[in-house]
Amino acid sequence: MLTLLQDYTIQTVAMGAAMLGVISGVLGSFAVLRKQSLLGDTLSHAALPGICLGFVVAGGRELGSILVGALVTGALAALLMLLLTRNSRLKTDAGLGIGLSVFFAIGVVLLSAIQGSGNASQGGLESFLFGQAAAILRGDLWIMGGITLAALGLVVAFWKEFKLVSFDPVFAASIGLPVVALEVLLTVMIALAVVVGLQMVGVVLMAAMVIAPAVAARQWTRRLEGMVALAAAIGMAGGVFGAVVSALGRGLATGPLIILAVSAVVLVSLLVAPGRGLLWEAVRRWRLRGQLEGQQVLTTLYGLAAHHRDPAYPSEQGSVDAFHGTGTRAALAKLQRRGLVRPARHAPEFTRHWTLTPAGIAEAERILGAMGREAS
Amino acid sequence: MPSRGSLHEPDLALHVEDLTVAYQSKPVLWDVDLDVPPGVMAAIVGPNGAGKSTLIKTVLGLVKPTAGHVTLFGRPYKAQRRRVGYVPQRSSVDWDFPTTALDVVTMGLYGRLGWLRRPGRRERAEAEHALSLVGMQDYAQRQISQLSGGQQQRVFLARALVQQADVYFLDEPMAGVDATTERAIVEILHRLRDGGKTLIVVHHDLQTVRTYFDWMLLLNVRVVAQGPVRDVYTAENLRKAYGGQIALIEREALAGGEARP
Repeated sequence: MLTLLQDYTIQTVAMGAAMLGVISGVLGSFAVLRKQSLLGDTLSHAALPGICLGFVVAGGRELGSILVGALVTGALAALLMLLLTRNSRLKTDAGLGIGLSVFFAIGVVLLSAIQGSGNASQGGLESFLFGQAAAILRGDLWIMGGITLAALGLVVAFWKEFKLVSFDPVFAASIGLPVVALEVLLTVMIALAVVVGLQMVGVVLMAAMVIAPAVAARQWTRRLEGMVALAAAIGMAGGVFGAVVSALGRGLATGPLIILAVSAVVLVSLLVAPGRGLLWEAVRRWRLRGQLEGQQVLTTLYGLAAHHRDPAYPSEQGSVDAFHGTGTRAALAKLQRRGLVRPARHAPEFTRHWTLTPAGIAEAERILGAMGREAS
Repeated sequence: MPSRGSLHEPDLALHVEDLTVAYQSKPVLWDVDLDVPPGVMAAIVGPNGAGKSTLIKTVLGLVKPTAGHVTLFGRPYKAQRRRVGYVPQRSSVDWDFPTTALDVVTMGLYGRLGWLRRPGRRERAEAEHALSLVGMQDYAQRQISQLSGGQQQRVFLARALVQQADVYFLDEPMAGVDATTERAIVEILHRLRDGGKTLIVVHHDLQTVRTYFDWMLLLNVRVVAQGPVRDVYTAENLRKAYGGQIALIEREALAGGEARP
């Protein structure tokens, strides 16, 4: 394991994956909060024609021009989408969907054209589809690192503006913030994150890298600061995990492993995050149901006692069961534990009977009183 | 209350001239002329689709007009931004956004802070003070999604209060809030007006116009009537503004003080 971590290639891949996790976690948070999760998907698919054009212009697999190409066509698709949805009746999701497929189709056509041209150096261009982490060179890290640092710097500098534009763009415009410019800046930065991830996870899976850490982080925190920091951490951890596991199990693809890792975090977060997790929700509902059942049984006993003009009236458990149509033994046992009812004997009969304690009467009156207030 | 004729543009809190706004090709506001003197609490009233919210948004530069111009105290909005406070419709934002009540109120200070500066201790104190003015001081650190509708509306109002404006625009601040919150909001607004501020409020409830407001604009794409409530709030004007819904309006306008369902 230790020798593994000293491996030059693995170090490079892990560092690249970590950077990708940070930048996509941070910018993905804003995309998710602005309900633009699909934007990452469109941007990454639209990067493919740019990758091909960059390759053609540079005459070979040169990372710099390929990334610039990816950024240009990605941003172009996003801006086209923005124009279309602003000036026509097209909805954003439809616009993003169309942009995604059209640009991706152009990319695939270009890719097949290049592959058919017999260019000797075309090898590996299709690796941008699903990513090929092992192909990352130390030199590439400088480009990725530079992009990541620039994006982080912008987010820190314009933190409060980005927050306000994401939360309440109308108010932001009313105090004079250039809302459109800020939104374009956020979009371009997501395109940058996509560019960073192209080599690692490829255009097809990049969207998950933008969305997943943010969605997972949202479950655990109540502040934007916390969400962004946590999303960065989750993205980074997923990235390093994917890199290391793929190195351990020779031949496993790094990019998909990273995506699986962050998706697992999403799943766990959706289930167990305190307050927002589905499990807590289920527990809360189950408890509430128990509580309601108890209240119903208690008020039934109260009603029977009132009907017989006897506060200590012993009600037969069977008749309470029949009244509710379900077994009430568990509910009655719970009420007994809370000291609201106690078992009683009713002379000639041997079946179980229950009577309200003074505390039970008070509680029943409180429940009925509260209901009366709500109804009026 | 000053009469309209005696005021020149610079003395008017809001002056709107020949304003026309269209979405696609459908006019939403048509040739609107409007003057609001300072120190009044004005209601913008009209049927659905009358352009009430659009009017506010156009005044605030959020919607581009096809024609016409707007001045606040005699100067265009861009030059007067610092003197304007704005409460958008509560439903215009996603309240599941990860932030606290105090943080939302602090956003009202971003305009004054400017670029690159972060809210500090002073801004925090101001925001806390505004929260206490709306009775929400105990909820400062509460996640906004956990607030009730009325509490969210108060947070929005507090955000406008920290703007320390001279003119406040409020878009349906009483929509979907409980009676207690409505009373509290009206009380705050009255206090602002008594302190010389101007309030311009999109309001949906005809029955409370006469008790809450002293100035009124009846709008239905065009201006139907404007002026002091006692002059404008007549059955005839309401009928003109609401057209087809006459039956409903007449009952409300003439019976007036009838208790709400």
